[in-house]
Amino acid sequence: MAASVRVILRFSKENVDRPITSQVILEQGTPVNILSARMNQQGGEILVEIDADHVEGVIKAFRERGVTVDVRRLIEKDDDKCVDCGACVSICPMDALTFDDDHSVILLEDRCNGVTCGLCVDTCPQRAIRLIG
Amino acid sequence: MNKGYQSLFKEGKDLNKKSSVERSARTIEEINEKIRNGDVQVLSVSEMKELVESSGVQVAFKDVDVITTGTFGAMCSSGAVINIGHADPPIKIEKAWINDVPVSHPGAAVDLYIGATQMSETQPFEYGGGHVIEDLIKGKEVELRATAYGTDCYPRTKLEVTLTKDDLNQFQMLNFRNGYQRYACATNGRDETIYTYMGKLLPKYRNSTYSGSGELNPLSNDPDYETIGLGTRIFLNGGVGYVIGEGTQHSPGNGFGTIMVKGDAKAMDPKFIRGATFTNYGTTLYNGIGIPIPILNEGIVHKVAVRDEDIYTNIVDYGVPRRDRPTLGTVNYKTLKSGRVTIDDRSVKVSSVSSLKKAYAISETLKEWIAEGRFYLTAPIERQPTDSVANPMRKPKGLAFVEDVVHDAVTCTEDEEIEEVARRLINRNINHLVVVDAEGKLSGIVTSWDVTKSIANGKGALSDFIVREVHSASLNEPLETALRRMTEHNISALPVTDGEGRVTGIVTSEDISKLLGGGRFG
Ligand code: SF4
Ligand code: SF4
Repeated sequence: MAASVRVILRFSKENVDRPITSQVILEQGTPVNILSARMNQQGGEILVEIDADHVEGVIKAFRERGVTVDVRRLIEKDDDKCVDCGACVSICPMDALTFDDDHSVILLEDRCNGVTCGLCVDTCPQRAIRLIG
Repeated sequence: MNKGYQSLFKEGKDLNKKSSVERSARTIEEINEKIRNGDVQVLSVSEMKELVESSGVQVAFKDVDVITTGTFGAMCSSGAVINIGHADPPIKIEKAWINDVPVSHPGAAVDLYIGATQMSETQPFEYGGGHVIEDLIKGKEVELRATAYGTDCYPRTKLEVTLTKDDLNQFQMLNFRNGYQRYACATNGRDETIYTYMGKLLPKYRNSTYSGSGELNPLSNDPDYETIGLGTRIFLNGGVGYVIGEGTQHSPGNGFGTIMVKGDAKAMDPKFIRGATFTNYGTTLYNGIGIPIPILNEGIVHKVAVRDEDIYTNIVDYGVPRRDRPTLGTVNYKTLKSGRVTIDDRSVKVSSVSSLKKAYAISETLKEWIAEGRFYLTAPIERQPTDSVANPMRKPKGLAFVEDVVHDAVTCTEDEEIEEVARRLINRNINHLVVVDAEGKLSGIVTSWDVTKSIANGKGALSDFIVREVHSASLNEPLETALRRMTEHNISALPVTDGEGRVTGIVTSEDISKLLGGGRFG
């Protein structure tokens, strides 16, 4: 799968009714995948996933239309590149990178999300870890 | 331990012949015969340890012919010899690069050595010789560039060609030092993060790393080199290789044995060999090595029963940039694999930089090869030393440490008059005054420039322009790191302090460059 970036879009009372998301999708020619939404007449938030290569254009297009955009930083581990060495494990303050019972190194995203300190990225000798956003 | 077999071995007698002294022994020939017949009893080293624990040495000896070990980790002293064939007109290569990585040229016209730690000139610290080897093994195309001075017999001076492993006459892994029996556990006492070949080490002992597979490691299971030596056939990076002698820095006398290995890289499997990069250290190569250990006698059973809790190593402070780094304690591999070690009475996270998962996979794969009759054992034709210890280098020429260039610091205290301080700077013809408190401890630094400025402006007390956030050096620190700190912070002197913060001298960049003959570190 191509890398994607998670972004929170905040709509206000003024722009919540307008079909902004579909406009942006058409204009940028890339899907904006809605993961969750909380909206009413007063405005609201939606969490979307955008293809990493298009993220800049999409964010700009939303901002031009008065939408507030928060980029969620995320850690992504490429399991094909990973050799389960563990160099990232002792670095992680959240125990989000940890050994599984079969000695695989796994990323528990829930523990990382929100903290996303980025300390692990340059520890990986295989460059298997990326910080997105 | 069964001495009989070992002494036979030492005298160089025929190892494969049963002697009358050695009734309860098994020979490599017998084991190979069983491999041929498909009834060899082969266990992975972990299965063997469990068997010895549950059923005892005698049963394990009776039931098992051979066991398989494994290790997978960064091994910098690795590389591959390639022969690229002759071009027309031919070239005697003087300098060459593959994918912009310099590949040295130790021999004749078209033989090259791809060293794992050589770095790409266009992507240094990200791509290197290890990656070139991995890409070749994967079957990828690589770009070779070469230059030469041209001779009557080799007129060509320039070469550019795209190659795959199929174009190479030879592509042989040739690793000088692999398979370290064990390795130190690394941590960092400095107040800054450091980047080492043992990975990223957070400040103030906030994490630690180790390397090696402990009880799975080949050499830990044959510490007396009864079966591992020149000629031992091994699993090397998913292909077949051979031990070709002791590795460089082979130090079995203190438990740090190594081996030198070779093997046909064309037949290796990218699953078991990976280029790698350690941030700010450079590139390297992860090799996978598995060695079969024939269970020739009960003595060997005792040895392969070794457990992680019996294999100890030191916890070492890599924050001290010296050859002999301070040891903070000892720890066994069982504790290392548990994920936590105790350093300075604190529990600190520890993780490996080598891969235990791959080590298990290697020992399992080799086991399958043997069980399926695809891999036969060899007896070493020469033994490795079992008690030698690697020596450090002779003292190199030149100055190396802060203590070699330090001189007395001229000091002042905070309450002194500015004119008095100015006079001292002028009389002593210096640029820095170190400010100390009543106990002689470092509290700041004053430069002649600041004093001049303040006198010219006709105002200010000394305390107004003391720089209080001072970087300092210690006596036993290498000059290079002191100089690097000065360059980093754009300063020209470092007060030298002892462990308690008392000022014992000063080093200036001027002194260092004068003594070093200038330029070299600039
Ligand atoms: S970003 Fe920080 S918290 Fe998240 S996995 Fe990496 S080290 Fe752990
Ligand atoms: S450091 Fe990289 S290769 Fe090693 S376990 Fe972590 S993600 Fe995998």
